[in-house]
Amino acid sequence: MQGPLIDTLARQGITRRTFLKYCATLASMMALPPTAGRAMAEAMAAARRPSVIWLPFQECTGCTESITRSHSPTIEGMIFDMISLDYQETLMAAAGHQAEAARANAMKENAGKYLLIVDGSIPLKMDGAYSCIGGRSNVDILKEAAAGCAAIVAMGSCASYGGIPKANPNPTGAVSVSDIVKDKPIVNIPGCPPIPVVMTGVLAHYLTFGSLPALDDKGRPKSFYGDTIHDRCYRRPFYDQGKFARTFDDEGARQGWCLFELGCKGPVTHNACATVKWNGGTSWPVESGHGCLGCSEPDFWDGGGFYKALSAPADPLKFAAAAAVVGAGAGVAVSFANRAKKSAARASHETTTLADLEK
Amino acid sequence: MSLDAIPIHVVNAPSGEPGLTGNAPPLLRELLEQVRRLLDTGEPSAIDLSALPLTPADLDWLHDKLGSGEIAVALQANGESTLNETGCPGVWWITHRNEQGAVTSQFIEVTFVPELVKAHPRDVAIGQEQLEFMISDL
Amino acid sequence: MTDLQFLTWVRGPGLNIAIGIFLLGVLWRLIEIYTLGRRKDLAAPRHAAGASGFHTVFRRSLPLPGMLKRSPVSYIGGYIFHAGLAIIVFLGAPHILLIKNLVGLSWPALPSQFIGLAAVVTMAAMVVVLADRINKPVKRFLSTFEDWFTWAVTFLPVLTGWMATQHLLLPYTQMLALHILSAEILLVVLPFSKLLHGFTLFGSRWYNGKVNAHKGVPV
Ligand code: SF4
Ligand code: SF4
Repeated sequence: MQGPLIDTLARQGITRRTFLKYCATLASMMALPPTAGRAMAEAMAAARRPSVIWLPFQECTGCTESITRSHSPTIEGMIFDMISLDYQETLMAAAGHQAEAARANAMKENAGKYLLIVDGSIPLKMDGAYSCIGGRSNVDILKEAAAGCAAIVAMGSCASYGGIPKANPNPTGAVSVSDIVKDKPIVNIPGCPPIPVVMTGVLAHYLTFGSLPALDDKGRPKSFYGDTIHDRCYRRPFYDQGKFARTFDDEGARQGWCLFELGCKGPVTHNACATVKWNGGTSWPVESGHGCLGCSEPDFWDGGGFYKALSAPADPLKFAAAAAVVGAGAGVAVSFANRAKKSAARASHETTTLADLEK
Repeated sequence: MSLDAIPIHVVNAPSGEPGLTGNAPPLLRELLEQVRRLLDTGEPSAIDLSALPLTPADLDWLHDKLGSGEIAVALQANGESTLNETGCPGVWWITHRNEQGAVTSQFIEVTFVPELVKAHPRDVAIGQEQLEFMISDL
Repeated sequence: MTDLQFLTWVRGPGLNIAIGIFLLGVLWRLIEIYTLGRRKDLAAPRHAAGASGFHTVFRRSLPLPGMLKRSPVSYIGGYIFHAGLAIIVFLGAPHILLIKNLVGLSWPALPSQFIGLAAVVTMAAMVVVLADRINKPVKRFLSTFEDWFTWAVTFLPVLTGWMATQHLLLPYTQMLALHILSAEILLVVLPFSKLLHGFTLFGSRWYNGKVNAHKGVPV
């Protein structure tokens, strides 16, 4: 099982040319120079399958769905043949104590070398009791697994930034992986869920170069999260012309005009949807007529409403009426004070007579 | 109910047919440079077409200019790939498609023979084994 | 705080606070000013052509004879940047959207390129007016901290808004948040500074016009 990758692939009927083609496309998507495809193929072909442990915490399994199901008939699924996925609750056959034993075993055998993938956030309230596996809290498991890993991939917005569980008022005290683990390289692959090829692309990068790709200030690979949705959006010319759809079924919506007024968060969202697209390049949210939700940004859930334009107030005005009343009250009060001052002045006014002047 | 009864008209590109952006002609100069390098040093090079801001019209223009040469290779590997020599020998237009037939990446390669066409020695070795096996069976 | 949290804060609580203080301050000061009242002028009113509060409201928008020549920068620069600000604030698509969200009224917008151009012209005019204030000894002498401060508070929203749309210096998210924040600072400062003239201007002109019209003097 631990021979070079190309042999493993050959055993599964995947030819060298299929693999080369895959690498060329992957390099192109990762915005690497065209020659990198061949270098990648060579490095990957010779690579030995690294052990990967995938820990699911407070999550919805959407990330696993995304990485496996939507692309399983296509070549991205192949990436799973390139790694030795030793623990993934949803995908593995083992269950219960056997599964936990598999994890312990993989961690021991590959100590210091395995890649740790985490999806889901980690609840901290009540000593982490909100999410446990086999009677142990998520924090506990994460700390133990992180201690022996080579690097961590935080898969999805929950693991990267806390995601939906962290949404206001954050009942479980959810935090991200990077809030807990400080001493290991961590790459965030946010998205709710992330685009499959972005996940596999980062894994391929790790396999090829043995390191994590260049990251932006939020820990995301620059090759996929370098541009905003808005910068690469094909509806951008309409934005610049000021042509906006105002409802989801008006003339503007039918003409495919910009969705800014319908709450599109594209201008502040860094992700690859506009270029890589979804479902094997079929389409992507804005192309299907719905604005971007901003799912790859921290706390997108509390961004003030998915259907509210970015320039609109995030919350309804709370103090406006009260402030107006207080202001008016203050004005009236001051005016009474002024009046009192005036009449006092009038009252104390003494008329000057000729006699006074002649004194 | 027929599809036209639904009052939606699909608009793919903002202004109907996207026109030429003027990004294609400079590529010809770059190709010339690359062909020179191939002749001088034997070093192959490639241009990743999906990484450039080219509209379909730009690609058509480029395709038209380069024309088609004598060799057209079709590769069946997880969807079809075509590796076609253009009117300029040594310049290859390479299109990778997935199983659904959608284009996944597109390159122009400047090389004597694209790497993907050549058989790898290790694969040839497997072929040799097969042949030996066949002969031993005769 | 990440930049998106910052943006959400300025769009939410920040805006709340700013509009609250703005309304409080404006109502307070307007009520205070207008309830002050004035003694009734018991003299018999005189009449003169063109002497009324209404006339003055408009006449004061035009330079006095000869003044345009004497300080062209103040007048022309002033006109340009006031008109520019009005165009940007009331005809920019995102601003109309904000107004629509707040009070429910909306009207057609100008293309974003035009608004961008208006912003550049406005900023140029404001810079020229500022340079004039610095260069002319008399103006400099008459200027107080408030004058410099209100200039900056007015200039910053235009600058940050323009830089955000042009993707200059900072990522759009941060710039947009800074833009909204600077506009909120403007809202907070407005009722308590000379910027309140946006509200009191026409009332005071009317008052002056009327008082003088009573005496038969068109001002
Ligand atoms: S639809 Fe969204 S991402 Fe596209 S141009 Fe409009 S605001 Fe930008
Ligand atoms: S369009 Fe926006 S919300 Fe939708 S998947 Fe892409 S980044 Fe997430």
